[in-house]
Amino acid sequence: MTAENVTAADPDTTVRAPVPSERRGPSSSAPRMLWGLVVLVAVSALALTTDGFVSVANARAILSSVSFTGILAVGTVVIMLSGNLFSLSIGTSAAVSSMLFLYLLPDVGFVLAVLLTLVAGYATFALQGAIVGRLDGNAIIVTIGAGALQVGAVTWLLPGSVQVPDGVDIGFLTRSVLGLPFPLYVFLAVALLVQCWLHYSATGRQVELVGENKAAARAAGLPTGKLVTVAFAVAGLCTAITGILLAGFNQNANLAVSGTFTFDAIAAAIVGGSSVIGGRGSAARAVLGAVIIATIANMLLLRGFGTGVRVLVEGIVVVLVVVAAQRRKRSIA
Amino acid sequence: MSSDLLDSEISTGLALEVRQVTKSYGNLVALDDVSFELRKGEAHALLGHNGAGKTTLVRTIAGQVVPDSGAVFVDGALVSLSSPRDAQVCGIAVVDQELTLLPALTVAENIHLGRRDARFFGAATDRNGKIASLLTRLGLAHIHPDTLVAELSLAERQLVEIARALSRDAQILLLDEPTATLSDVEIQRVFTVVRDLLTEGRSVIYVSHRLGEVLDLCDRVTVLRDGRRKATRPVAGMDRAGIVRLMLDEGAVEAARIPRREGNGDAPSVITARGLAAPQLFSLVDLTARAGEIVGIAGQIGSGASSVVRALAGLVPSCTGEVAVDGHPGSPLGTPIRSARAGIAFVSNDRKSEGLFLDKSITRNLVATRPRQTCRHSVVSAKRSRDLGRQLCALVGIDAKRAEDPVSSLSGGNQQKVFIGRCLEHPEVKVLLLDEPTRGVDVAGRAEIHNLVRRAAAGGAAVLFVSTEFDEVLDLADTVVTMFGGRVVATHRGSDIDASTILAETTHGSSVRGVA
Repeated sequence: MTAENVTAADPDTTVRAPVPSERRGPSSSAPRMLWGLVVLVAVSALALTTDGFVSVANARAILSSVSFTGILAVGTVVIMLSGNLFSLSIGTSAAVSSMLFLYLLPDVGFVLAVLLTLVAGYATFALQGAIVGRLDGNAIIVTIGAGALQVGAVTWLLPGSVQVPDGVDIGFLTRSVLGLPFPLYVFLAVALLVQCWLHYSATGRQVELVGENKAAARAAGLPTGKLVTVAFAVAGLCTAITGILLAGFNQNANLAVSGTFTFDAIAAAIVGGSSVIGGRGSAARAVLGAVIIATIANMLLLRGFGTGVRVLVEGIVVVLVVVAAQRRKRSIA
Repeated sequence: MSSDLLDSEISTGLALEVRQVTKSYGNLVALDDVSFELRKGEAHALLGHNGAGKTTLVRTIAGQVVPDSGAVFVDGALVSLSSPRDAQVCGIAVVDQELTLLPALTVAENIHLGRRDARFFGAATDRNGKIASLLTRLGLAHIHPDTLVAELSLAERQLVEIARALSRDAQILLLDEPTATLSDVEIQRVFTVVRDLLTEGRSVIYVSHRLGEVLDLCDRVTVLRDGRRKATRPVAGMDRAGIVRLMLDEGAVEAARIPRREGNGDAPSVITARGLAAPQLFSLVDLTARAGEIVGIAGQIGSGASSVVRALAGLVPSCTGEVAVDGHPGSPLGTPIRSARAGIAFVSNDRKSEGLFLDKSITRNLVATRPRQTCRHSVVSAKRSRDLGRQLCALVGIDAKRAEDPVSSLSGGNQQKVFIGRCLEHPEVKVLLLDEPTRGVDVAGRAEIHNLVRRAAAGGAAVLFVSTEFDEVLDLADTVVTMFGGRVVATHRGSDIDASTILAETTHGSSVRGVA
């Protein structure tokens, strides 16, 4: 390309100059949030007409199940924000963390088991992040591969199902505190911490920049490899936390625990309104998305539908949100 | 071709005539009432430095740009070239400076792709036979038609690109900088083929920055300047200096007479590069920039100038040599992180894909690389960011009230100012590298950007910039380094900068290379 070419071929830059630039509001996230709220209202309306939805017991059930999906969704948002889509084995990793935690519990005690599980989750994801960020691996392939490796390693090294050892009580992991289930507090704390990290730390803010434009971040000298690694590692911590809570909730752990968590977490992250291709998103939106997804799941459950229908409906909602976001993006551009 | 023949229009028919074409982009007039005649059997060079309208004219002929007014005649008949396909139907084949081959397909498939008469080839074997003979003609006999394009070198791809144009049996071949990536031997091969085509009565439009090639190959030359046709002359009897005079506008010559600011010879050199080399891009490049000095690297596309600053920015991993910043010697800066740590900031020539974070606010873009300035106790302070954003907006001349608007809401020129502003008043930046700092920016914005660059230098940074527009080099640089064919031709300090020397050095062939 000659540079002359540029004056000619890049007319928008020259053409745009005399036209008064369009002024957008200071934050374009408002309509996105609005959209999320519309979905929330619609879902709530449906939910409220469902028999048995409005009851203390059911509210507690929703709040409990929202926590697991929610923490994973917060992790997923961090990966998405870094511009690397999502982990397709985050549910598997949560199950593996759960098994590891229960396996370690009788030998090392509660505190150390928690710490070791966190370290393992952090390391597993950081490794994946390093492959994606430093070696330019594709996040989808790397995380699928990592999932298979974890399943293989766990099947080989651990018993198929791990129980809570006799004489150890981890019931407090699901006990109510002030009328609300303990995992909910953990979920909100994680969301708050991650939100602060994204907003108030230099690293968190740079993760967002890498996600929006990796080439620009690279050329500006930002440590892109490290940032992606850290983003994955944070998701790994979230996953390990979920695994530990799941162990308390189920009182045992096996690979089947992963269930539809991977998809639920991705769905919650997307429905919350974070950009799938990176650069835009927040933990707060993950919370919103997780609530929507959990409400849909609960409502369908009460109406007597099985997992298949639930996943189907989630899928439809995700597609609608992606299409709506895309249309909105185009109308701006 | 004899010159008496050239002077009589009647004796040779016109293969192509462009009559009084005008094209503007917004308020920028790219072509202003330009006419151009191509005779049958003629090689006609199209010259003009950047912004002259050359590319727009080429695109008009290629059917990529529809002019606002004017007409195009092929073989005497009025035609409408509103798409590249129309041009192909009219027998015009284009070899673009940008490679358009698909790497995942074979040579034969690429040549076959997009043909309007796909049946022409018949059976695959027959097809391969024809392609093989085409390749042989271009000196690519060693390449089988079933070879994947991905396996070919850059130069080979360029030749295949030409083979594709030839396969279309075009009467008019438009070569846009076809030799930018080729070696001398390969260039000679292309020339041989072009001469064969001319004797067959076909015509060639040859766009190049390399005057030696123009003199060697072409019969006539048309020079464009500022969107107008400056002259059309027979090449016979012209020399480089003559062409350079046609290309230069008086303004640039005047500018060149303004005494250069003598770089402060006593200032310590901030960045010194010795023996920089990167395969296929450049070799044996030595550069120095002192504190407060603006070094302009002038070179045409393919001269390696852009790659050199990219290498200093850490974006050319294959680069070898020695780079010392602030007296600390080191190996070449293999990653952008290392360069940034050494105090090098880089403004890419592509602000959209390698520069700005378009979704983010102006402030975020301005402070993106300043965690130390925006953090307090390693916590990002919203107030500090905001204040710094406003301050930098004021510095680069953008209304501070817009500091929180998305940077994409700004015009191209203002976006470029934000991009450069990111590296200004930055305590860690010792060296500022800019690649085409005013690409796609209008005249007013250009002056402002130049002032920003001068300001960075006045603040003690060493500035190195690359430009293919030598007006810009003359305007901005204290020291001019000229590059051609991946080598430094000469370094001009202070007042011995002269427009025609720069133009000659950046467009010359091998004769000057010896001097360097």
